[in-house]
This record gives sequence, C-alpha cells and structure tokens, in this order.
Amino acid sequence: MANDKLQIKKLYALSSENRKFSFSLPLKQTIRIGKREYEVKLKADEKLGTYILWKNRKYPVEIVRSRQNKYEILFNDISYTFTVETPFSLQRMKVLNSKRGKVEQEFIKAPMPGKIIDVLVREGSTVLRGQPVLILEAMKMQNEILSPVNGVIVKVSARANTNVMKDDLLVEIKIS
Amino acid sequence: MIQNIKNMKIKRILIANRGEIAVRIMNTARMMNIETVAVKTAVEPNAMYLTSADVIFDNTEDTSEIPVFLDIEKIAIALKTNANAVHPGYGFLAENAYFAQKCIDNKIIFIGPSPDAIYKMGNKTIARKIALAGGIPMAMGSEGNISNEEEAVVIAEKIGYPVIIKAASGGGGRGMRIVRKSEEMEKMFIIARKEAEKAFNDPSVFVEKYIENPKHIEFQILGDTKGNVIHLGERECSIQRKHQKLLEEAPSCALDEKLRKKMGTMAVQIAKAVDYHSAGTVEFLLDSDKNFYFMEMNTRIQVEHPVTEIITGIDLIEQQIRVANGEELKYKQSDIILNGWAIECRINAEDVQAGFAPDPGKIESLNMPSDPCVRVDTGVQAGSSIVASYDSMISKLIVKGKDRKEAIKNCKMALDKVWIKGTKTTLPFFRMLVRHQKFQDGTFTTTFIEKDIEKYYFNSEYEEMLAAWLATKLFVEENLNDDSINIDFKRGKEMSPWLLNKRINQF
Repeated sequence: MANDKLQIKKLYALSSENRKFSFSLPLKQTIRIGKREYEVKLKADEKLGTYILWKNRKYPVEIVRSRQNKYEILFNDISYTFTVETPFSLQRMKVLNSKRGKVEQEFIKAPMPGKIIDVLVREGSTVLRGQPVLILEAMKMQNEILSPVNGVIVKVSARANTNVMKDDLLVEIKIS
Repeated sequence: MIQNIKNMKIKRILIANRGEIAVRIMNTARMMNIETVAVKTAVEPNAMYLTSADVIFDNTEDTSEIPVFLDIEKIAIALKTNANAVHPGYGFLAENAYFAQKCIDNKIIFIGPSPDAIYKMGNKTIARKIALAGGIPMAMGSEGNISNEEEAVVIAEKIGYPVIIKAASGGGGRGMRIVRKSEEMEKMFIIARKEAEKAFNDPSVFVEKYIENPKHIEFQILGDTKGNVIHLGERECSIQRKHQKLLEEAPSCALDEKLRKKMGTMAVQIAKAVDYHSAGTVEFLLDSDKNFYFMEMNTRIQVEHPVTEIITGIDLIEQQIRVANGEELKYKQSDIILNGWAIECRINAEDVQAGFAPDPGKIESLNMPSDPCVRVDTGVQAGSSIVASYDSMISKLIVKGKDRKEAIKNCKMALDKVWIKGTKTTLPFFRMLVRHQKFQDGTFTTTFIEKDIEKYYFNSEYEEMLAAWLATKLFVEENLNDDSINIDFKRGKEMSPWLLNKRINQF
C-alpha cells in the first residue's frame, strides 16, 4: 500500500454521466480554470453547516452517502455521484467495460415509493417509447410509468396491488 | 397595522390545520388580540406551529388512521378548549360543507363561506350549471356527470378532441385525465374514476373540452355577509406540474387593465351567484387568443394567497376573521389598487433530479433570507421533520419587486440565500426557472414544465467540478491518509466536516 501511494500522481472523479474530472496529487486547495488558479475552501460553521467557499461564494455541501470509492455529494442542493479512481483502477475499468459491450436492456425502476395499481404490459409484449407500462400510486396521485425505449418486455416484476420502494425493479425491456 | 377591534365576538380560534398555514393564521390572530388553539398530533408532536398557539389541545393519544384535521366529529375539540371559532386553513376540512354546517350547529363560528356556497362550488357539475346560467364563458362539455366511457366518447366526438375528464368533487389536480383520441377513453375514464373515488369518495366525473396550452389565471374574491363582493386582482399559476402549482405570481403579465376588469367582474358575478362571503378564488383558463373559460371556484384561503396580500396590502386572514365576525367590508372595488409584483416559490422536500419524488426527512438546518423584499411563510424550523403523511412543503418564499423584472431579479437573489440541509428541495428547479427565457418573457403556459424544459435544475458551470473535487478530497483522506488537510473550524478544530456530518450512510 505504501508503495502504491507513492506511485499515484493523479486521481479521477467519474460522474454517473461519465464525465471525468482529474486532480493531481497531492490534492491542492485550488482549482485551475484556464490560466488562473482559484482557491477552494471546505469550511463549516454552526449556522450553515458544511460549505465550500469558492470565488467569494458559499455553497452548501453534504455527503449523502459514501461507500468504498463511491460518493454521493449534495452540492448547492443538487446531488452528484462520483467514483474516484486511480490511474490503475481506471485502466482496469476500461478493459472490463469494453468486454461487457453495449447496454441492450432497459430497467424500469420505481421513481418513488408507492403502490402498483395496474400493470399494463405482459412478458413478451412489444412497447413503444412513451407507452404506459404500469400505474403507480404515490402521494395520492396515480402516475403512469412510461417506457423510455422501444422494445420487448422480458420480465415483469411488478404486481398489481403491491407496494414498492423507490428504485425497486418493475419491468425489464429488451431494447430493439 | 390592525385597527382596534370593537365588538369582536371571536375570542379564541381553533386552527383545524397544521404547518405553515396554521402559523400564518395564528400570526394574524395574535395581532388582532384573538387567542388560538393548535392541535398536537402523534405524527408531529414537536411541530413549529404548536409554538405559536396560546392553547394546545393534546391529541397525541389518538392513533386513528384518519388525521384529526380530517375528522369532522372531532369538532368537539373546539368546545372542550372554549374556542368559539374554527379556521380550517386550506386542504383537510376547508372545503367540507358538512363540517362548516356542523360548526354552525354547535354554535361555533366557521371562518369561511356558507356551507351552501361550499357545497355548490365544491360540486363541479353544479358549479358549471351556475356559471352557465350566469353567462360565464366556459369550455364546452357534458351537461352533468357521465356514467360510462361510451357516453364520454359520444360527448367527446361532439365537442372534439382533446377532452379532459374531471372529477365532479375534484380539486388539487386529482381525478383529471386528458384524452386525445377515442381509443384512450376507456383507460383514462377508468383511471379518473378510480382516482376520484379514492381522493374524494365520489367517483362521479364529467367531460369538457381540453383547452390547449392555456395560462392558469385566478381571481381573489372577498365578500361579506351583507352582500358586498369585490375582487383583489388576479394571480397567475401557470407553473404547474401534474396540476400541482409550484410558482405563483401576482399580477399576471398576460392581462391588461381591460381584460382584468372583464374577468374580475365575471369572478365577482360567480361569487355573488352563491351569496359568497369570506375569501375565495375563481379559477380561469386563458387561451392564446385571450379567451377565458371558467374552471372552478375554490371556497377557501389558498396556498398562494400571500402574493395577493403583497400587491394589495390587504391581510386576507384578517378579512376572513372580520367577515366571520359579521363586519362589513371596508374596501370597495375602487379602493383596490395593485401595487408592484410578487412571486411565490413553493419550496418542497422533493427530489427534482428524480422526477419531483417526495424526499421526506429531518430538516437539519434552515436559513432563509431576511431582505426587505422577501417574506417567508414557513411551518418548519431546524430540527423539524417533513413527514410522509402530510404534504412535502417546507416553506413559501415570497419575493416582491416594483415590477415583474425586479421581482424576478430579487427572487434570483433570494433563492441563492436559502440554505436547507437534511432533505433535497425544489430550490434547484426555481433557480433554473428564474433564468429561463420563457419564464422571463412571460410566455409560458401550464404545459411549460412538460414541454419547454430540458433540464429541471440549475447549476452553474463549475459546481459539478467542485463536487468532484470534494469527492476526491474525501477519497484522499479515507484511503491515502493525506495529512495535508487542515481546515479551520470555529469549533472542533481537528474534526473533519464529514465527521460532523451525520448523514453519512452506506450505499
């Protein structure tokens, strides 16, 4: 480990939308924009809690979750999820991803906790983008959950009249 | 500000509500030297509204499924606490004619309109008939309720698609479905009826022509028991998501003086048709050719009432109390002058990045701006919880300016000063909205959120990068044992902020 540490000159924060931010080590308290370095300060006080001071403005920050190298950060009320990678782990990830190939499945998950009122599709049925696949009731509102893709239903995990939690898998679609 | 009150019969008001509206009512009552009673519930025993009341009625032992605020029979609470008036706020029992009648039967003053007016306007089919008889412009539709989808198809063919199915007892956007072609009718009809039955205990629905891309314009009405009715100008509430209002403003940039007068006169006429007294709202849809259509009348104080208070300088809760006390309105229509512009943002505990999914939780810190152009109506403070059993509202941020442009500018400034920690909020949505060209132009309609927005939140150019830096910093501290981090704290100098942060959960 001690050896590894010496070798790491850079870290990469990969966003969930696959944007890459690189930072050289040791990590500086400044961020370079164009030709200028700007100071970043992580601070906290009793009234505001934790915040980042950047270009004379305070931004509220919270660490929502962290596990291993994965971090969900709430920055100015918007959440960002990053995995922090070393040059080695990044390389390994690239290799793994190229082997896995393209994503062909679409997973429809519950956008909020609620109750399944009706399932409108069956395994094997074809769906078009925008077509309702099921009805989820949450906060006294009935919401139609639409298919984001054209495809064929391969699995229906949702059952009518059952409660679901946020992010529960409801329907799997093979993209065509 | 509030004049000396002679002959005030109302001595103690039971607030049959919670949250910000309970606080709001208590503030005015206090200024009028009237005592208030708040109901303490098991769900929210430490709620902020309890701290504003003179008397607390402890109902925490009541563990029934129905919230106390919805239980008509619990009106007896008012008798036990010697309250001689009830203010229902909005939601819950505010538009329940039976509840209003029950109050009257128990010799308790109901601060709101007559049970008859609540009933007539609450039933959309009756309200339509009243409006029709008065020659108020309305979207074409079914004469009364319709019982099956075949009948709905016949009417839709006659008036032309798209049509909207609405719950007869509806409100708050529930039990409404748009149908664009006959094949969709059966499915939508069933959904609308189910939703209506569940929400309002009444599956009756009717069909009317769906007005495409309208603006939502509503008029604030004020009436007394002597037959005087005036309007306090309009509010525009076109910024909605699934018929739920998110931002309201007063006045509306879509109206000129002539149209305001015309619509306002119609609104007063509708209210007079049911001998309306107290505060109420007449809602219209306004199409792109400036044709307007009566939609419904809400027989209560509304969430968005503050924007009207700001531009008219009239305290609507005070007026409701005075009218309930039997006083005559001291304002005539000619006394009402709209001054400046006001915008209200409903800051809800919702995750804008996850389709506005409710995000209940504990508010860890809450800092609101205190600028003169800002009014904050809130029912929560640091330490309060947003509970799943009630709505997700945290605060209403109300901002004024001398004109719309200045109000938007002030709103932008105020939004950056709101700091709420512990739950995700609709703040990033409003930060996006105030920067959106279409919002600034005022050309948006009720389909704005659905059709005109690419990104539901605003973040400035470097915010994601700064968040990435923070993630990297955490990684360094946790994995590479970097000792170069020295952060100054007022307290707990050696502690990292993420250790102070109590919200580190595991994935």
